[in-house]
Amino acid sequence: MIDNLLQAAIIINILSSMIRIATPILFAAMGELVAERSGVMNMGLEGTMLTAAFIGFIVAEKTGSLGLAILIASLSGAVMSLILAFMTITLGVDQIITGLALNLLASGGTLYWFRLDYAQTSLENTPLVDILNPINLPILSDIPYLGKIFFSHNILTYLSFLLVPVIWFFLYKASYGLKIRSLGENPKAADVTGTNVNKNRYIAVIIGGLMAGLGGAFVSIGSVERFFPDMTAGKGWLAIVIVIAGNWKPGRILLATLIFAFLDAFQLQVQSIGVHLPYQILLALPYIVAIIALISGRARSNAPQSLGIPYHRD
Amino acid sequence: METAENKKPRIKVEKREHASPIAQIVALVGAVALSIIVTGLLMYIGGADIKAGFIALFEGAFGSRQAIIESLVKATPLILTGLATVVAFRARIWNIGQEGQLYVGAIASYWAYLQFNSLPPIILLPLIILFALIGGALCGLIPAVIKAKFGVDEIIITIMLNYIVIYFLSWLLSGPWKDPNHYYQQSPSILESAHFPILLAHSRLHLGFILAIVAAILIYLLLSKTPLGYEINALGLNPTAARFQGIKVVKTMIIVMLISGALSGLAGTGELFGVIYRLKSTISLGYGYAGIIIAMLAGLNPLAVVPVAILFGGLINGSYYLQTTTNVPASIVYVIQAIVLLFFLGARAISLYKIRFIKND
Repeated sequence: MIDNLLQAAIIINILSSMIRIATPILFAAMGELVAERSGVMNMGLEGTMLTAAFIGFIVAEKTGSLGLAILIASLSGAVMSLILAFMTITLGVDQIITGLALNLLASGGTLYWFRLDYAQTSLENTPLVDILNPINLPILSDIPYLGKIFFSHNILTYLSFLLVPVIWFFLYKASYGLKIRSLGENPKAADVTGTNVNKNRYIAVIIGGLMAGLGGAFVSIGSVERFFPDMTAGKGWLAIVIVIAGNWKPGRILLATLIFAFLDAFQLQVQSIGVHLPYQILLALPYIVAIIALISGRARSNAPQSLGIPYHRD
Repeated sequence: METAENKKPRIKVEKREHASPIAQIVALVGAVALSIIVTGLLMYIGGADIKAGFIALFEGAFGSRQAIIESLVKATPLILTGLATVVAFRARIWNIGQEGQLYVGAIASYWAYLQFNSLPPIILLPLIILFALIGGALCGLIPAVIKAKFGVDEIIITIMLNYIVIYFLSWLLSGPWKDPNHYYQQSPSILESAHFPILLAHSRLHLGFILAIVAAILIYLLLSKTPLGYEINALGLNPTAARFQGIKVVKTMIIVMLISGALSGLAGTGELFGVIYRLKSTISLGYGYAGIIIAMLAGLNPLAVVPVAILFGGLINGSYYLQTTTNVPASIVYVIQAIVLLFFLGARAISLYKIRFIKND
């Protein structure tokens, strides 16, 4: 009896963590989907999230307002993606190198500012901030098991899951979403029918940046009370992998995100109940799975035809 | 809409295939100038006197004989990771895994050291270097094989491998290779018999620097004088045309990744046996990523990598000196590196455009 209760508690714990862990990746992956559907690959996603995580932390620390922190963090994601859009869409610079440069800028810039303001001598004992409280949804959170798993999270988690149907509707049912998709498939045809290719690609990339910004905000003020350098730890890259593994479809991206999040939640649980496995192997697991996912997912490619190709009129 | 636009004077922007040399130089100078301005701003934000800051940066980098030699020490791994990038990017293979390949080189050579450290240095050192080359090359081989067999893009695989290697190293250093006398994750000190020979008395300049310079010359010869070099360049210019010319694309790609990985591996072992003398996770302070920036700034020219890497080595030491004299965090160096790259990419792209003003009436 007690064993059963314990097992149930552990499973609920894992699944609830899964939903929490999925949040930032889901934001970033859904945003990346919009950008990639318009034909632009944002390889600076990792840096965009890290910047937003830091900005969210800073604003929360200086003003005490989490709402403002989320807003500014999201905007900082938009600014990062605007730089990427300018470099890749307007100047036609290679998307990979531009992304790399942005990631390095974010990694260095946040470290510099963090050291300057909070950690002159050491990276320990840095200030703490309040984080978003979980909101128990009325009635729903009282459902046995499910309530704890799905309906006791903070606002950003609800928002990220809500975004999945919204983005699906936007891309497949809304006329503007169709326009965005046409840019990724055949920008020339879109141009001929009077769509401003580059302007709309800018918009798609910035939407992606706003969402990656929300994901970044979750990484800091949505889950831990402090900031530490490179705290996004590859979540942006995982989001890029997940868009590929999810074959550029919102539903499958959600599924892929949940699988990765489950792995992570599982390893946390394994660690906390003291199973003797080197924790580093568990930490490396998502990246190993990412490689396997890329290898096995290549055959059913639904990738936008013009992904990664800058557009200019001849 | 069309007619309204036509009435205004229009700016016509035309793209050229190749930027003129003058435009390229102007772009480079412009990028450096902008980077210097931003660096000054960062120092100002950091609360330092800008003039004093730049003086400290220069003093720390090249202000004395000692400083110059130390900058060469720092440049050693950067030359190698820069060359690793040149070889790969020339073939348009986007190897971003230099950081991981560097660590695998260090890990493999440390393993060799553990097996063979009873041998005399004259045999031990070549073995260590050989294993570093093999380790780095194997780490480069994985993404190459995955790309060849499954058509999966190498960029993301190399990045995933960077993360995996770091965790693997962390496991080695917390378990099997941990120094039991220390709290931190690091190996015991390396025996003096396995240290790379020092080139100049009272300095830290080691054998690795010579190896890096030799590597630069070899890569230059490889790319400009050999059939393989021709194939690498052809692959980079146009893979489809290269295939029609009978170039075995997969084979070339695999060789490129082996060479690229081996060079990064060498960078790792140089730091381990030439400078730090312990395996730990801070052997590289982002040298893999800095190597990519250096290669880009050097225009993917292997010989130009050397002076650019020395400048970057100076920048790293300069930033340490800046920190001790002005309290500006030394991490300013990472921001400067990224800013230089961004401005350089932007300026180079702009130099490809010719802008003409056309008046329509």
